[in-house]
Amino acid sequence: MKIDIQHIAKLAGLRIEEDQQPRFIRDMEEILAMAGDLPDTAELTAPEPDPMVLREDVVTADPLERDLLLQNAPEVLAGCVVVPKTVQQ
Amino acid sequence: MELYEQTASVLSEMLRRRECSAQELLISVQERIGEMEPRIGAYLTFSGDAMQQARAVDEARARGESLHPLAGIPIAVKDNISTKGLRTTCASRMLEDYIPPYDATVIQKLKAAGMVILGKTNMDEFAMGSSTETSYFHPTCNPHRIGYSAGGSSGGSAAAVAAGETILALGSDTGGSVRQPAAFCGIAGLKPTYGSVSRYGLVAYASSFDQIGPMGRSVKDIAMLCSLISGHDPMDATSVKREFPDLAPALRPEISGMRIGIPKELFNNSISDEIRDCVMNALRQLESMGAVLKEISLPLTKYAVNTYYILACAEASSNLARFDGVRYGYRAQGCQSLAELYERTRSEGFGEEVKRRILLGTFVLSAGYYETYYQKARAVQRRIRQEYAESFRDCDLIAAPSAPCSAFRLGESSSPAERYRTDLCTVPANLAGLPAISIPCGVTGTGLPAGLQLIGTWFAEQQLLNAAHAYERQTGGFPAPVKGGAV
Repeated sequence: MKIDIQHIAKLAGLRIEEDQQPRFIRDMEEILAMAGDLPDTAELTAPEPDPMVLREDVVTADPLERDLLLQNAPEVLAGCVVVPKTVQQ
Repeated sequence: MELYEQTASVLSEMLRRRECSAQELLISVQERIGEMEPRIGAYLTFSGDAMQQARAVDEARARGESLHPLAGIPIAVKDNISTKGLRTTCASRMLEDYIPPYDATVIQKLKAAGMVILGKTNMDEFAMGSSTETSYFHPTCNPHRIGYSAGGSSGGSAAAVAAGETILALGSDTGGSVRQPAAFCGIAGLKPTYGSVSRYGLVAYASSFDQIGPMGRSVKDIAMLCSLISGHDPMDATSVKREFPDLAPALRPEISGMRIGIPKELFNNSISDEIRDCVMNALRQLESMGAVLKEISLPLTKYAVNTYYILACAEASSNLARFDGVRYGYRAQGCQSLAELYERTRSEGFGEEVKRRILLGTFVLSAGYYETYYQKARAVQRRIRQEYAESFRDCDLIAAPSAPCSAFRLGESSSPAERYRTDLCTVPANLAGLPAISIPCGVTGTGLPAGLQLIGTWFAEQQLLNAAHAYERQTGGFPAPVKGGAV
């Protein structure tokens, strides 16, 4: 099992510095060698447990206030969360 | 005997008879915290209003109001459970300054009952680890022996209970994170049946396994707290709609005739000799009290750790995608684009173990590997569940060690895969959604506690607690808090 750490990190929204890559690769290969040891699923038939019961999709008055929620935001302007510019010129 | 040394059930009676006040009790526990905390490091944050909470209970009692039996009892809360206005970090840099705008359902219940929330306890970062060493802040020491781990991921909660720095605690158990630290610290800890306790407000690690559980120094204490936090909650779609009986009043030391299955796969050479001896001695004790021991086989146990890590990491990679530096939590500075903001925030905000599990989860869900890993693991999980269901036709309970060894030495070097393998005793109950309790069953030669794990069938918490209570009574109760002289 060979891990393309840069590809996986990209998918995961992570950046793994070059000097750390060999260690991450080694650990992940060791873990996957262990975890990949599973019996053939063709021999394994078992029912799915009961499905979740979802509540009615009804809009209710949310007690969470905008100001309270924004208190945790790293950067706020005029009641909105600020992020770097997303539109390319 | 100091107040902090008592159990919640004894203190409940003392408070009711006005032999002490909630404020006196709180002072006793807080003084104990002052004495022990520099050596243990169980807490991350203390409540600023604990004395107000205690005073409110005393005043309500003085007015003759009818109070919950746990009113006025101090409790410590694992730092992945949201507490309105009280910092909740998950022991991560990512949430170092996060103040939840709402209470988890379990916290609403503690507050409604008048329990006194002391503060938030240390843990492995996002509950990923088994020694509290992945905490961004500091590790938690085992009160029985400084230099050894309190276990994890609910290590702060377990150590606080064992050191007398609280009376009760809440932990969360995804792959053994209540039971293993309970075993390492010589206390009792229960993982309830999946779906019994609302996960609303519990910061998600692996949602299909996560379950909040009570930790304490007696089975009755565990029973009282378990009943308080259980119950259907429309805010959690996996919460089960059923009646949850009041466990403590029905607690009986019943063991006679109970059939206890002993799975040979959890007593083999993966378990240290000392731990196996402690657990077998406890089981012989139960046998002498009338339990019927039966050797059983659960062949798929050998795949449990593998299955667990594939599924838990897959869920974690999805759950932790929300930490992007936009709405709350850590944000990397000086980013020029949104993509850079996401990537750098996550890389700087998460520790190594969290990154490793996110990467693993992303890998097993990625194109070309999903069928080989994730889908296969899901099939094995269903089969493990079925294997347990079949075993419970011939057994009332299943017994195992809570961990294959006693507490790790802090700083002990082992590869991640080696460390993951030490979860072999606890992950099966999570994969199958079963209730399981860890109770103290002796100490090893190094003076570190061993834990006996009892696993029950779905929603059989009463039976599980009755058996644990029978053992507790027979052995004269579980150890009192570790005295000041932890070495």
